Amino acid sequence: MADPAVVIEHLGHTYLPGTPLESVALRDAGLEVARGEIAALIGASGAGKSTLAHFTNGLLRPGEAGRVVVFGQDTASPSLDLGALRRRVGLVFQYPHQQLFERYVGDDVAYGPCQLGLDRKAVRERVRWAMEAVGLPFQAFKDRQTFSLSGGEMRRAALAGVLAIRPELLVLDEATTGLDPRGRGEVHTLLRRLRDEEGVTVLLISNDMDEVAEVAERVTVLHEGRTVLAGEVHEVLSQHDALAGAGLTLPTAAEIVRALAREGVVVPGRPITACEAEEALWLTLRS
Amino acid sequence: MDEPLIRTSHLSYSYDAGTDHAIPALHDVSLAVDRGEYLAIVGQNGSGKSTLARCLNGLLTPTEGEVIVAGASTRDGAALLGIRATVGMVFQNPDNQIISTVVEEEVAFGPENLGVPRDELRRRVDDALRNAGLLDQRLRDPHTLSAGQKARLAIAGVLAMRPACLVLDESTAMLDPLARREVLRLLRDLHADGLTVVAITHFMDEITQAQRVLVLDAGHVALEGTPREVLAQADVLEALGLALPPAAVIARGLAVRGANMSVGVVTPEELVAAVVARARAA
Amino acid sequence: MANAALLRHVTIGRYLPTGSAVHRLDPRAKLVAIALLVAAAVVASGYTTSVLMVLVVASLVPLSRLPAEQAVASVRPVMPLVAVLAVLQLLLGGTSGAAAHEEALAAWGFIRITPTSIRVVAIMALRLVSLMVLVSLLTSTTTPGALTMGVDRLLRPLGAVGLPSHEIALVIAIALRFLPILGEQMEAIMLAQDARGVGQGSGGRLRLLANARRMAALVVPLFADVYRRADEMVMAMLARCYHGGNGRTSLNELRYRPVDAAAVGIALLVLGVVIALQGLGMP
Repeated sequence: MADPAVVIEHLGHTYLPGTPLESVALRDAGLEVARGEIAALIGASGAGKSTLAHFTNGLLRPGEAGRVVVFGQDTASPSLDLGALRRRVGLVFQYPHQQLFERYVGDDVAYGPCQLGLDRKAVRERVRWAMEAVGLPFQAFKDRQTFSLSGGEMRRAALAGVLAIRPELLVLDEATTGLDPRGRGEVHTLLRRLRDEEGVTVLLISNDMDEVAEVAERVTVLHEGRTVLAGEVHEVLSQHDALAGAGLTLPTAAEIVRALAREGVVVPGRPITACEAEEALWLTLRS
Repeated sequence: MDEPLIRTSHLSYSYDAGTDHAIPALHDVSLAVDRGEYLAIVGQNGSGKSTLARCLNGLLTPTEGEVIVAGASTRDGAALLGIRATVGMVFQNPDNQIISTVVEEEVAFGPENLGVPRDELRRRVDDALRNAGLLDQRLRDPHTLSAGQKARLAIAGVLAMRPACLVLDESTAMLDPLARREVLRLLRDLHADGLTVVAITHFMDEITQAQRVLVLDAGHVALEGTPREVLAQADVLEALGLALPPAAVIARGLAVRGANMSVGVVTPEELVAAVVARARAA
Repeated sequence: MANAALLRHVTIGRYLPTGSAVHRLDPRAKLVAIALLVAAAVVASGYTTSVLMVLVVASLVPLSRLPAEQAVASVRPVMPLVAVLAVLQLLLGGTSGAAAHEEALAAWGFIRITPTSIRVVAIMALRLVSLMVLVSLLTSTTTPGALTMGVDRLLRPLGAVGLPSHEIALVIAIALRFLPILGEQMEAIMLAQDARGVGQGSGGRLRLLANARRMAALVVPLFADVYRRADEMVMAMLARCYHGGNGRTSLNELRYRPVDAAAVGIALLVLGVVIALQGLGMP
């Protein structure tokens, strides 16, 4: 891959080694994300997805085994500028209330741009842009108290706070869990727009197979700390046995196709979304 | 005709009612839940689903209107204990419902509160654990269970009170797909055994195992009917911020293209059967 | 970021079923015995008695079949506090009380280090170690349910004067159960904030400010999280018909056995020995 955003190879990580609470999170994990693509990382709970994500912005750095290179920089290098890395890689955490800490929404979203050293006017513009982008109207929400927001609104605020830094790589750790269908759709549209208009690279961590099928171009599958499958989304998300072995299901559309095949009805291509399945079924029924 | 188990009558609820920052959440909701029914309540975030759930067992007292459970009103303080033993409730975050660090002690908490005598307690705990598929985990620390097991533990904790009805407030929202299936399967089994189930969710694929669906929007009931009837109104649902489950989307798309497909197809199983039938007929 | 992972070391509140004799003690007897040992640790203010207490407490760890690392880990959270207090005591305690009249071992101006100052610091450290391990022992060998029952039964007589014994017992048990969870939560919050550059000072001099900023930034989300969890827990308890201790039954029965009386007796003996040794004026 030419000029990838992220290359992780043979990564291992153990929490609290040498203590009674020791636990191996990653054994032989690998991940590749090309610039300007929307990639997904999937796996059952406890597979190590969040741990792997923490390596992309230097929260964790390789120690025992493996290599992590983000935008060409080896994160194990002692001369790594962490601050600079965290300006290029924005990580949105799973639970928004772990991320929000300012009293007012506007201040929280402004935190990132302020850290970047922008002047007041520029900060305000960034905050306005980020909040409008996630669907939290600037005027209405900037003076709301962060902890008085609903769950969905908090998620959007957390996302805005990270977007405001204008990262080149956006890592979303199960950031759409708990959003209703409309909210989720809006986030997907936003991600596509960021990729198309600004060349932002996205790494989506999710265990919602339908969501991944809709939005991702490439998928990596993690199972018990090891990468077991990686490739183009249609290729990966149609491999029932490999996914089942990793504790995952197929996207609903792919399951329908598989059930049809068992009944002797073979459908062309490898549809994984509802649209693709509809198209493929139509072709099948017509012939 | 039997009296419904739960009935709300012009129920309205506002948070901080009577103050200048009151937030209205429910408007004039009148519904009935029959014994043995499986009702799904859906709506986008902010539609009032959770508020409605909490009114059903008296955790919230109506600002206006009435909620009657097995003949008793939730406004009647003295009746609340009985109401909550009749209508059990499971919440979204398993960690914040689990009090104990031993599975069987956790399940015993509810009936202990009801003063159930010890030998009966033991029986109820065992039954609830067996129904929830957790009998082997009885002495484990809930903290070490998987998310799906924790969710089932929360359900077992309520089942041990032998309620007539189980209300689930988005209990699958934080679960991965496999765990969600476990819980949904458990609910189907419990319902088949006679439990009344009220499931609040925003996952549209979960409503197909219910007998009746209520769609909430901004605090009032916007749509009501069988899952099939509700899912047939795709435009309305979209306007309400909800989406059809994939099988229904596909079926509709095919019907629109002229594939002679019944629009009543909503589950993956039904779609497969319908397509197989058409393909073989051709 | 290794520090954050250490928070998972919060071992207080984690029940470890090892099936030892200590685990099987009646919780009431265990509570009384541990209370007596705590009293002994507080009373012990000489080298002999303090070391004796540490030895007694340390011997309970293998008796409960708990791994030694567990006991060590329970002390670790207070080490920073002990260090700070020790330094303060050493630096500032040299001019008051018995130390004022002693020959100084080392002195710079008003800072005088005397045998008494050293002794005070040592005793304090030993006492804290004993106390932390005792509390950790209690929670590692007793389930919250048993603990609740024990506290409830012991406080029950005070119900006559209006003390809600079961509610208090439950509060304690739930607080203990949530300590590890809050530890994990704090760790998660610190990680999330680190990712946003909170506390990334741009220079050594600003580091103190940056760390203060970090601590301040932790307070709001942690407090909000605690409040939210408490709110949800209350609702879940109400939904399961909790209404206080009246009329409650319990799954597991409490029964006194001779070994329980023995445990209390031994603890009483230790307390007696400590008091006697102190009275005899041992160093």
